Amino acid sequence: MTGRDEMAGDHDSLAGRGPGPGDVDLDRVWLGVAAQVWRRDPGPAERAAARLLRSPGLARALVTTPSLLAGWLIATAVVLLAGLFATLGTGTPYVPLLAPAVAAAGIAYAYGPGIDPAWELSRSMAVSDRIVLLARTLAVFAVNAALGLAAAAAGAAAVPNAAAVTFGWLVPMTAVCALALAAATLAQSASAGVAAGVAGWVIVVLAGQSASGRLTAVITDAGLVLPYLAFAAVCAAIAWAATRVPRGT
Amino acid sequence: MDDDELIAAVAAGDDAGLRELFTRHAPWLAARLRGVLPAAEVEDVLQETFLAVWRGAGGYRPGGPGSAGGWVWGIARRQAALFLRRRGKAELLLAAVDVPGRQAADPAETAVIRAELADAVSALGPAGSPNREAWRLMYVEDRTVAEVAELTGVPEGTVKSRAHRARRQLRAALRRREPAQDGGGR
Amino acid sequence: MNVEINDLTRRFGRNRAVDGVSLRAGAGVFGLLGPNGAGKTTLLRMMATVIPPSSGTLRLLGRDPGSYGPRREIRRRVGYLPQNLGYYPGFTVAEFVEYFALLKDMPPREVPRAVAAAVEQVGLGGRARSRMRTLSGGMLRRAGIAQAIVNQPEVLLLDEPTAGLDPEQRVSFRALLRDLGERATVIVSTHLVEDVGAACGEVALMDAGKIVFHGTPDELTARGEGTGAAGDAPLERGYSAVLAAARSATAVRS
Repeated sequence: MTGRDEMAGDHDSLAGRGPGPGDVDLDRVWLGVAAQVWRRDPGPAERAAARLLRSPGLARALVTTPSLLAGWLIATAVVLLAGLFATLGTGTPYVPLLAPAVAAAGIAYAYGPGIDPAWELSRSMAVSDRIVLLARTLAVFAVNAALGLAAAAAGAAAVPNAAAVTFGWLVPMTAVCALALAAATLAQSASAGVAAGVAGWVIVVLAGQSASGRLTAVITDAGLVLPYLAFAAVCAAIAWAATRVPRGT
Repeated sequence: MDDDELIAAVAAGDDAGLRELFTRHAPWLAARLRGVLPAAEVEDVLQETFLAVWRGAGGYRPGGPGSAGGWVWGIARRQAALFLRRRGKAELLLAAVDVPGRQAADPAETAVIRAELADAVSALGPAGSPNREAWRLMYVEDRTVAEVAELTGVPEGTVKSRAHRARRQLRAALRRREPAQDGGGR
Repeated sequence: MNVEINDLTRRFGRNRAVDGVSLRAGAGVFGLLGPNGAGKTTLLRMMATVIPPSSGTLRLLGRDPGSYGPRREIRRRVGYLPQNLGYYPGFTVAEFVEYFALLKDMPPREVPRAVAAAVEQVGLGGRARSRMRTLSGGMLRRAGIAQAIVNQPEVLLLDEPTAGLDPEQRVSFRALLRDLGERATVIVSTHLVEDVGAACGEVALMDAGKIVFHGTPDELTARGEGTGAAGDAPLERGYSAVLAAARSATAVRS
């Protein structure tokens, strides 16, 4: 260790300097102190994730997902709460309409060069970037689904056709998220993912309204479930292909 | 920045301040501890000392020149005593015994010194005898006179004179550089 | 031999970024020189297992990175500093290094001490808990070097590591390279010729995807003697001479 801001190739060690005794390795002592002072202590969530996933690296990648950080989660909760109050006030189920778009944005911002500046480096890691993407996507989806369900259930009393509306939006949400993921991985840009996801959902909702007169048609129509899931599967396959190691031609 | 300012910075979470404190104080602390502990143990105690500085910097009250050094040395002494209490190497800490020239340069000499100390302490009497017990409690486990008085059930004045006698006997035993006979000290 | 490469080629469309490169490297510091676009970065990316080769064989630490298991094992024991590093602005230096230590599957108990050692080794000990957005370009580069060395890799790949470092820091960096090269294979890609001369035991010069010179820095210097090639220093003249010869040979052939 040196007192100045230089690299230690010059063997400038504290143990050889000053009045310290020659056989006490002060550099080693400092490293022991620094190790404890500089470390980032994993919180309970990270420790649990590390045990569950059997990978401390993957757990760390999960808890540092941009769309799982406190700020983002709070913003999501605020949006859903606003939807909830609007629902209670007007009887229109806003939460199921908002949740898929919000989730899609969260998925797009879990990933990739648009949001991962150390992109090249991530692709050389033992915990591969694909595994990180998979874990983050699932986690973001689960968190958004949980928040959405809570908000939807709270507003269910105010809405007709409560059961279908409370749960029925999970399937379209899967499709919209898959679309955002595919767009983000293909374009290698989080913004592209958000744009595709949100725009896609808005188009679908409006199309459903013009076709049947109800805003919630796309959520409650049971006949759409299979098409949604098929679409989601295709998008997931596109995302998987887009993240494979690029082949030499 | 002077030491008081550095400690205040450390209390506010500035780890670069801790690094600077280490650069300034670790060498002389190591030298002082080295007089009574082998190198490896000095390293462990020094590490615990600076971690304690990191955690406890908020409790420091500036008190004029040298008070920072005294504060840090106080922490080091307490850490050394805690360390020994945990490890049970009761024979090795001689914080109160001022025997010049006792720095060891290599492991072999350290082992010799350990052997001499073990023998010298046995000059205080069998384990549990009054002087030896007073010695162990006060200088190895770093307890106050009041604590020792309570633990051994004798007045504080008695504790102090036993400790004094123990120190004298140890010093003599070490200077003779030969193992003292058992059954000595009273 | 930590790195064994045989007739390695990488194509992007019709362009051969790396064209039939062969080399073997054991412990020591190995310099990769060449102008921009010579294929150095592509070669390093293949060694970092970020992209696969189009043809030829690549063996790292005795393993073939073509399949998942060996590739993962290789990645645990390799350190890589890309040319464009990128960083997480909100992370501190220590958090940044720690993040990649964990992603390299380092045992968590060893991580804090390894992070401290790496951060001190690159001279960022006084900035360990500074957010990366507050660092200068040279400091960011050093943080990048720290994450590359944190797992004590057996193969260390550094792409333009001295970019942004001032001359004094470049001198310390060369000393660090020599230390690291004692046990590991360190491959340094740089267009700064003098960095190579001072630190590397072996040098390869690339141009247009091929290796046009492979030998010691002294041998490279010798190639420049008496040719009147451009350059302020003997090594630079050797560099220019070899490049000129390679290009005129290509011109003659085509």
